[in-house]
Amino acid sequence: MKYKKIILFLIFGCLPFTTMASNNLPEPPKGIIKLAPYPAPAIELKDIDGQAFSLSETKKHWVFVHFWASWCGPCKKEMPAIQKMWDTLKKEGLKMAFINTAEDEDTVFSFLSVYAPNIRALMDSDGQLTEKWQPRGLPATYLVDPKGQVRYQALGGRPWETKVYMDFLRHLLTQK
Amino acid sequence: MINHIKYPVLFITGAILLIPPVVQAKAKNKAQYENKQIKIRFSSRTPEQIAAFYEGRGFSKAMVNKLKPLCFITVGIRNKSRDVIWLDLANWRFKNTEGEFKQFNRTYWKSLWKQMNIPLAHQSTFRWTLLPETLDFRPNEHEGGNIILPFSDKPFTLQAQFKTKADKSGKRFTIQVNNLQCIR
Repeated sequence: MKYKKIILFLIFGCLPFTTMASNNLPEPPKGIIKLAPYPAPAIELKDIDGQAFSLSETKKHWVFVHFWASWCGPCKKEMPAIQKMWDTLKKEGLKMAFINTAEDEDTVFSFLSVYAPNIRALMDSDGQLTEKWQPRGLPATYLVDPKGQVRYQALGGRPWETKVYMDFLRHLLTQK
Repeated sequence: MINHIKYPVLFITGAILLIPPVVQAKAKNKAQYENKQIKIRFSSRTPEQIAAFYEGRGFSKAMVNKLKPLCFITVGIRNKSRDVIWLDLANWRFKNTEGEFKQFNRTYWKSLWKQMNIPLAHQSTFRWTLLPETLDFRPNEHEGGNIILPFSDKPFTLQAQFKTKADKSGKRFTIQVNNLQCIR
């Protein structure tokens, strides 16, 4: 009987804390939607230098998954903000999958050397991986939690380098 | 039976009259519609602009030749309301003095590009340049893309119906934009 009470206490006493942990994610700033979590589609791509990248290797970290193309005006506009944010938050544990949609290496190389020289670009050369993620449009950003669940989606380009967005991302990095 | 037809027509007509729009014709190739819920911009593209864009992305001559004779309009939509607004291109009606005509949808293009053995990368890029066929525009969200129509040198009218709320149960509204034009 005594053990039964202890077991019941462990089950029901701990339940609120478990729920709290999963609901403890911060409310996002303007233009970012909190999603009902779902498993992130796999990302297995090579970067512009031919090095392999797998999203599964970034588990235990928050991942900034970004889709873009050089011809897309809002992508171009947002790029410096992502570069600034990345220069700081990569040192604080954020990971990034920075995915070019369906362009060739020369185009990506020329573009990034101007707009985001310090970000490793992944090449979705035939655009099929982008299709699997089903973005609303380009640019598109998703935030994937350390368990591989998609938790947030940004609507179009965002000023990621500004305090409100940096604070939000930093808050996420404290959530394991 | 008659009532089923009559009431939606009255409702749509009423909605058009009740919502005071602001339609601005900026230049021959530009138009804008704005009401309390939505803002839509239209920019007609010349065949040269279309060819330059797609050739610049490495598209084949055969692909560009299919696109150049058509009417490209770049559409930018912003949801100004505090609720979800549903874009559904199936509810967009284009009409000129000769009658109603339809946009070329994604199914058409997918089938054509497949038939022409167009590389997947170019098919993908092409799709991303199109306006989504359906999208639940969130408050303050802006998205854009091209719609592609048969070319006509006559001005035409767009009548578009939008559903609202995440489950589409909100009040529908219809907009009408006159004097849209294809350009050469």
